[in-house]
Amino acid sequence: MVLQEAFVTDFALIIVTATVIGYLAKQTGQPTIIAYILTGLILGPVFLDVVTEEGLVELMAELGLGFLLFLLGIKMRFSDIKDILRPIVNIAVLQTVLQTALAFGVAWVLGFDLTETIVIALATVFGATPIIVKILTDKDEITSLPGKIDVGVLIVQDIYLVIVLALFSADELTNATEVGVTLATILVMMSFIGLFSLLSSRYFLPTLFRRIADNKDVFFVIGIAWAFLFIAVTEHLELSVEVGAFLAGISLAQLPYSKELEERISPITDFFILVFFASIGLQIAADDLTAYWVEAIVASAVLMVGNFWIMFYLIDREGFTVETSFLGSINMIQVSEFSLVVGALAVTQGYIGTEVLGYLSLMALLTMSLSTYVINYNHAIYARVEPFFRRWQSDEQTDVELREFDGHAVVVGFDGVTEGLLPLLADRFDDVVVIDRNVEHVEELEGLERYETVYGDFRHGEIRKAANLSDAAFVLSSTVQAEINERLLTEVDDDATVVVEAETAAVARRLYDAGADYVVMSTQLTADHVAERLRTVLRDGGTFGDIDTSRGPVRDGDAAADGGERDV
Amino acid sequence: MSEMIAALSVIFISAGVLLLVANHLSLPTIPFYIIAGFVAGAFVPQEGVLDLAQWGIAFLVFVFGVGVDLPKLSTVFRDSEFTASAQLIVLAPLGYGVGVLFGFDPLNALYFAIAATLSSTLVGTGLLEVEIRNNLVHGRLAKSIHLLDDFVAIALVLVLSASAFTADAVAAKIGYGVLVVLLALIIQRHFFEYLTRYAEGSQELLMIGAISLLIGFLTLSELVGISPVIGAFAAGLAIRRDYTRNLGMLNGIGSIKDFFVVIFFVTLGALVSVPSPRVFAVAAALVVLTAVCKPLITIAALLYEGYDVRTATLTSVSLDQISEFALIIAIQALLIGRIAPDLFDALILAAAFTMVTSSLTRRYDEAVFERVTGPLLGDRQTRKIDEQSSVGGAPTDHVVIVGYGRVGRRLAATCESAGVDYVVIENDPAMIAQLREGADRFVVGDAMYEYVWTKANVGEARIVVSTVDQRRVTDRVLDLDVAAEIVVRSADSDEAAELRAAGASFVIVPDVLASERLEAIVADLLDGSVEADALKTRHLTELDRLEEHGLDSQTPDERPI
Repeated sequence: MVLQEAFVTDFALIIVTATVIGYLAKQTGQPTIIAYILTGLILGPVFLDVVTEEGLVELMAELGLGFLLFLLGIKMRFSDIKDILRPIVNIAVLQTVLQTALAFGVAWVLGFDLTETIVIALATVFGATPIIVKILTDKDEITSLPGKIDVGVLIVQDIYLVIVLALFSADELTNATEVGVTLATILVMMSFIGLFSLLSSRYFLPTLFRRIADNKDVFFVIGIAWAFLFIAVTEHLELSVEVGAFLAGISLAQLPYSKELEERISPITDFFILVFFASIGLQIAADDLTAYWVEAIVASAVLMVGNFWIMFYLIDREGFTVETSFLGSINMIQVSEFSLVVGALAVTQGYIGTEVLGYLSLMALLTMSLSTYVINYNHAIYARVEPFFRRWQSDEQTDVELREFDGHAVVVGFDGVTEGLLPLLADRFDDVVVIDRNVEHVEELEGLERYETVYGDFRHGEIRKAANLSDAAFVLSSTVQAEINERLLTEVDDDATVVVEAETAAVARRLYDAGADYVVMSTQLTADHVAERLRTVLRDGGTFGDIDTSRGPVRDGDAAADGGERDV
Repeated sequence: MSEMIAALSVIFISAGVLLLVANHLSLPTIPFYIIAGFVAGAFVPQEGVLDLAQWGIAFLVFVFGVGVDLPKLSTVFRDSEFTASAQLIVLAPLGYGVGVLFGFDPLNALYFAIAATLSSTLVGTGLLEVEIRNNLVHGRLAKSIHLLDDFVAIALVLVLSASAFTADAVAAKIGYGVLVVLLALIIQRHFFEYLTRYAEGSQELLMIGAISLLIGFLTLSELVGISPVIGAFAAGLAIRRDYTRNLGMLNGIGSIKDFFVVIFFVTLGALVSVPSPRVFAVAAALVVLTAVCKPLITIAALLYEGYDVRTATLTSVSLDQISEFALIIAIQALLIGRIAPDLFDALILAAAFTMVTSSLTRRYDEAVFERVTGPLLGDRQTRKIDEQSSVGGAPTDHVVIVGYGRVGRRLAATCESAGVDYVVIENDPAMIAQLREGADRFVVGDAMYEYVWTKANVGEARIVVSTVDQRRVTDRVLDLDVAAEIVVRSADSDEAAELRAAGASFVIVPDVLASERLEAIVADLLDGSVEADALKTRHLTELDRLEEHGLDSQTPDERPI
């Protein structure tokens, strides 16, 4: 039967294999991307040769790449790096130039021909976003200064990559003039699309998204439709669709809703990008992988060391402290996943053979797996080598102070109960951050100018991170969903004061057990209050409205008095 | 760059544009996906897209399975067993008959009957989100009926995937289906934990793991020859929901589902060819059965069970659409060439149409009650109210409490300890047992009926307290021409001021009351003038006491009367 056959495909086999290898990789501390490339190598011609890169697999791989760039665009919030923008641009530009030169030199010395050498030089970019971001996030260092510098450099680097991608997507590149003309055409057309993207981000998208942000299905589909619109246009103009997706992302990134969209798009990207990395493995034949294995090892070693020193020199040059320079550099010693993206594209266009892609893949596998350990132990390594590096330390070097929430109050959900509490919190905390996924609420709060707001669903990790939940000193959650509050309680600091809401006694107990300092039960508090009034009226006469409430809320002791006195 | 990417661009851009329309009109999204399919149909190549659409079905059912909370299922079902069965028993044969009249063979008549009988969870429950969250009686009933319909649909998918409809073949399918589900439950209980543990917190890995489980079950269902829908459902059951450990994975699966579901519904629309008059006739018949006959049968069943006319009306009009499961059954039947093409087209058309009309009837459900069912069926109420209520001799100088939720019960207890007579007014027949046990005097019926108030002898009452946050009830209470002091409830302070002006002596605004109280507690906590531990101990003791006296329970107050 047709339907049943639809599911048992190469694609399904890739996912299942990737899962198994992914779990194995996890046990050795390796990132998933390594597992995905290995999946392709194992299922492809190198080992089992049971899966080919066509049909659904090809589509998913293409989608993966498109979504990866789209997501990258969504993450390009100019506001995130504006504090350290100038040094970052300096570092990124020089790093790209120097390290491309180094990669060129190494490849040339290793004996690749000119075209191959150029492709390798352009493709060998250092600093793999998924690996750095993932590990630094896990280590809670992503918002530290070295983390910010790395992320900033990676973002600027992405623009360079987008241009390289655009160049490689062009059909004819045989002599210098054609390269020049192609590059110029690409840049002009891209500028138009880029301009459209920026203009729409300024004038059109804010209104559009303000209208739809509250409906999460519409929000999601329009976000994806926006990406496909750019993909379709760039495709029609025979430009790189990846670049189109990237520009679509950038225009959405500047909206207050971008974190929420990012959170919805990431899983789809994770899912498709798996297929993309596996498909790289699928393209490589057994001979390809081993064709340049010595070269790959030599190049990996030279480039890891070389790139570390390039980065160290550049960061140090901007006047940051030696420790910051060291950590910022040592995090970046792996070949970017984009080497493979660019490499795969160059294979498709016929500039290089698959054995060069094999060389790039081997280099990626080696540097990525090694650097995982290096990043994990970056502080320990620095402690060892500090005496040596101290010679570069001078008194003028200082780190920029980064502003981020710390010791602040986080309020989840803006409603009648939390609203009344905000002034009290604003009096006691430097920052009060309110998380809410309703556009009107967020705008109302921003109008008050007393509170910080994060637009989005608390369920989403990016949103919790944006409010820096784990460093908050006080957290108040107005959701009555027990599971969400339990999640909140696992993430907050042990010393934080946490107040959550619950509807029933059973849930309240669970939340107390999970570490809540106080569980608000709105209905119970209401019942206390109203029962107290009724008791007074029945005892003393008069009416509900007459009762003097100036003595403040009823005391705890009275709350269950009805129950207690009742003859049951 | 393949033509598939172009096809997906068409699908998502057209869906995007139509969703803007849906959003502007505040209508549900699914029918607009289908319309996007009609519009973009010509540009969407069927072959490759169908593969993706099937992943849409798989993820849709998978996520449905993930959301099923087995231990709670029987409680949810209990609410509507009778009504849902009545609906099936009356409507299915009726639909079958109409199908036969249209000249369909028995199998196609059966597809027709399924489409006429089952309601859509995605649309129906989506529209009632607020009512369900607030645990209003009709929200609860509708959710329960929808869920039962979904389970019936899954069972039907299982049976209909039999290659021949002999007793043996069908029994074999059912047997395999049960085994697959059992396997899923075993995995959920014993194996899923390892998947979580060894992912070491990586939600990405866990998500891929969960999808691998889905693929595993799809493969298994293929091996034993049952529909992949069952496999996807079972895979969902195998996933354990635990927000503290796998929230990111659950969100991720949700996003991927949303992506494929768009492809599924748009493709569905694209599969419809230009309709002939016959297709329109069949679709019209389906619409009448779904949007007219089904609500009528549901109202009758609910009234028979003792619900008031309003609850019955509101529940019924939320069921007047064709189920997305009927669409799944239809596309499966189309793929194996069993469904008549004109029936398929009619079914999709009728589904899109009823999904739109359903949100309109939902918008005007109160009007339907006030103008149509209320006047027609209101007389039946008196007898029912007499049967179900217990007031004893006519109380005087008493308190009338509207609503027997947590606030209502506390007030009843307060009256009892003060030795003052009281009468509770409550509209949920499911509460009768609790009322019998806990309240001296009660009237079961909708507070909108004059007779309910007569029964409560409100003319001689001292105080009337409404604990129900519904404007129509509030207005009704304020309209009472009585000497008693009137206390009502409202959700916001602006409305409260208005209600005080209209004659309420006090307005219960839970948010304000809770907020005042909370402010004091938080100030104390932050100043350190009260220890968190002491506060916690005091609150827990208090909860014990409340629970002991039955004053805390799962049923919140916001229940309609």
